[in-house]
Parts: sequence; structure tokens; C-alpha cells
Amino acid sequence: MSNLKYAYFPGCPSESTAIDQDMSVKAVFERLGVELEEMEDWNCCGASEVEDPEIVYALNARNLAIAEKKGLNIMTPCSICYYNLQRSNKVLRENEELRKKIHSIDSSLTYNGGVEVKHVVDALVNDIGIEEISSKVQKKVNVKVAPYYGCYMGRPPLTAFDDPDAPILMDRLIEVIGGEVVPFDYRKAKCCGGPLMMTVPDIAFKMARDILEGAKNAGADCIVLACPLCGMMLDAKQEDIEEAFGIKIGLPVLYITQLLGLALGISPDKLGLNKNVVDTKAIVGRVV
Amino acid sequence: MIKTWELDPNFKYEILKEPGGEHLTACFQCSTCTLGCPLTEIIPTYNPRRMIQMSLLGMRNEVLSNPDLWVCLICQTCTARCPQDVQIADLLGAIRRIAEREEETGKLKISSVRPSFDKAFMHQIQKYGRLYDMGLAMEYYKVKEGSFIKGMMAMSKDYKKFGMRMFKKGKMGVKSMFPEKVKDREVMRKIFERMGAEKK
Ligand code: SF4
Ligand code: SF4
Repeated sequence: MSNLKYAYFPGCPSESTAIDQDMSVKAVFERLGVELEEMEDWNCCGASEVEDPEIVYALNARNLAIAEKKGLNIMTPCSICYYNLQRSNKVLRENEELRKKIHSIDSSLTYNGGVEVKHVVDALVNDIGIEEISSKVQKKVNVKVAPYYGCYMGRPPLTAFDDPDAPILMDRLIEVIGGEVVPFDYRKAKCCGGPLMMTVPDIAFKMARDILEGAKNAGADCIVLACPLCGMMLDAKQEDIEEAFGIKIGLPVLYITQLLGLALGISPDKLGLNKNVVDTKAIVGRVV
Repeated sequence: MIKTWELDPNFKYEILKEPGGEHLTACFQCSTCTLGCPLTEIIPTYNPRRMIQMSLLGMRNEVLSNPDLWVCLICQTCTARCPQDVQIADLLGAIRRIAEREEETGKLKISSVRPSFDKAFMHQIQKYGRLYDMGLAMEYYKVKEGSFIKGMMAMSKDYKKFGMRMFKKGKMGVKSMFPEKVKDREVMRKIFERMGAEKK
């Protein structure tokens, strides 16, 4: 795997609320022998809040151009960054007029279409490969897992790399490290409510509650996911959700790279497992 | 009841011109979007198909002042399932931007706080090139609550426990008090200026 290398796009939460994801992504890729070169001076992808698609395309033209100069493909661990980078990539490749318009704003926005954009799950399963990962597994993860994909791995069709309703790529990663995937049906790809967290929190909480209770009722020991906003809703806000509805959940929420990292024999501290808000010790203890 | 004399036949062209709204007229009203929308479990009357039909009919005022415009999760379920590739999630975004411009010119009052949040978010990117959580929260709460002091009070009420939790886990600390900045901030300003200005 030594020939694989990515331009790493960490995304804004990578130094704060999703520092555990950032740490585990770096540790896992290092263990797999795949180099990540952090993109120099990357900018915010626009998240869900920049609603004008043309501003999103312009913001990401700059990011794509930074990777293009290095001759590298981009890998990002955040599903929203992935969606914005990838849709910008596809639209800019097709639309010369738009490329010119964006180029006329500033020369740093000149992008010629030479970059591929990968979400971390896509990179792990489809670039590195299940076989390669399987050959490096050192420990068995004796845990029942609810795999939570959220919105942007399988939707919208323009950028999707998994099924819109019944995604499976994380299931395959969980299975190869010995975990048991619990039946999590449509909730796998149902929205966590994150985009409304700050503006209509009662709806956001109801959405997140459904995912959390669904996982618990399915008999899961933990939820595994790959997006900082989903992590914020389901892990960091879990206590607030319990309080709002007078319920008890107490379900650990791990990034897929944290669980995978344990199976690859990486130490829990290096994977940021002491930073998840709901305690993860019970899960760590069952990886042997 | 539809008041035919109040219909605006140009409304659909206005939407078609807005980035994201290009596919409006492909809709054949099958309702697949509404049937799959997760919001309908929480708000039974929520109905994207209906908003599209009203837009096609030219019910401009009703559509632009519909509070349901501001609760879409942008989860893309509707877009993934639409047999006509209407790209509803983007379409609703296009209508929201028309509504925001209408408010800027004083012709509409939007009750949702979402536009203030989105604006505060965009200001962070414009200024720093990265999301600055503290700056976002401070600006948003100030606008939402009507003054800086009231905003700070509401914010500490909403976020006290959460902030402590994040602090304990080392996810928020002294470092999060200050913004991360890209070096080339001039280009951020230019992007928003150029892309935003043309549509006015
Ligand atoms: S699914 Fe598409 S075609 Fe059907 S009503 Fe919705 S927007 Fe129209
Ligand atoms: S994008 Fe909005 S309208 Fe479409 S299914 Fe999701 S919440 Fe419903």
C-alpha cells in the first residue's frame, strides 16, 4: 500500500469537537502504511450553512486547486466536507463557464479538474481494501455495533458512494474486525437532526433520539459513525437528549476509525478514545 | 383556497434562475418526496410536494412566508428518490434564498432564526476562512436575543453544561477561544462579495 497517498482535508471540527476522529484517522492510516499530507492552508467547505451552491463551488475550487498543485487526491473524514468537496469537483469538471467565472475572482481558485475526492470510509474500503485491512488486524472486536451512516455517504446521487437507504461499507469494516452488526434497518441512513441543532433544537433532538433509541433497542453496545456533526448530536449531546425526554440511553458512540484502530492494535489514547463524551471503556475492554 | 388574481406567473422563472432551483418544472407531483421525508413523522403537515406545486402555480407569498421552508434538514432523501431529478433539497434552498432577499428589501418578515444562524456562520468563513465556533455562537445569540448581553445570558444558559462536558474531554479549551485562520483571507472576502453581489 506504500504507493497510496492522500491530501488530507481535516475539516473545521478536527481540532475541537472531532479531535478524536482526527487522531484516529491519522493513526489508522499510519498503521495501514498510507501517507496523509495535510493540505496547506485549506479553507472551510461551507458546511450546510452556505446555501448558495455557487459560493460553495468557489470555496472548494480553492481547496481542490491546493490538492491539484500537489498532484494528490483528497481524503476527508467529514461527511459534509466530503459532500461539498465532491459536488464542487463534479460540477466544476463539467461546467467550463462556471470554472472561468470562479477563476476570474482570484487565480488561487483555478482548478482544472484533476483531483478525486474520497470520504474516509470510501478510501478504506475501496482504495485500501478489505483484504489489506484484514491482513493487519491484530485483535477481535467482541462488540455489537449499530452502524450509523447518516445522510451523505449514500445521498444525493451526484456524490454518493454507498446505497441511499441501505448502505453497507461500514458493515463490511465492522465484520472484518470481528464485530457483530445489529439490524439497524432504515435508521442507518436517517438524518441525525444535526443541521437543525442550533435553530430548531426540539426537532433535532427528536431526530437524534430516534437513532439512539433505535440502536439501543436493536441490542447494540455502541454506535459507530463517520461524521463530526453526527458525533456531536449522538455523543456530545446525548446527555442533553436524555434530559430533555427524561430517558436513559448511555450508549457509547465511536468513530469507525476508532473501532478499526483498536482492532489494528493501536493504543486507545492514540485513537482519542478518552475524548468521546459517553465513556468508551466498556468497548475498549472488549477488544482482545 | 387559491386566489387566482394574486398568483405570480413569474415566480417559477424566478426559482428556475436561482442556483439549485433549475429542475423545478420537471416535477410531476407524484409525492415520493413527501412520503420519504423524515420530518413528516414530527410535523405531519410538512409537505415538499405541496410547496413545489404552490411554486409552480405562482403562489409566491404563501410559499415565501411558509415557516416549513426553514425546517428542512437537507438530508437529501427526497432528492435521492425523486423520479424526475427535481433535486428538492437544493430547490428548497433556492426558495429560502429568494425569501431572504425579500426580507432584506423589507417586503417579508421571516419568523425563523435560521437565516441569522446561516449569516453568522458565513461571516466566520468570510473573516477567517474557517469556522470559528465562539464567534459564530456570539454573533448568532446576539442577533437572536436582540442584544449582546441578552445573547451572552441565553448562550450560557443553553451551553453551560455542554461547554463543561467538552472542556473536560479536552474538546474545547483556551485554544477554542481564538479563531483558526487561513493565510489568504482576502480571497474569502472576494468570493462572498462577487458571488453574492450579482444576484441582487
Ligand atoms: S418526488 Fe419529484 S416528481 Fe415527485 S412530487 Fe416530489 S419533486 Fe415532484
Ligand atoms: S431534504 Fe428536507 S424535504 Fe427532503 S427529505 Fe430531507 S428533510 Fe425532507
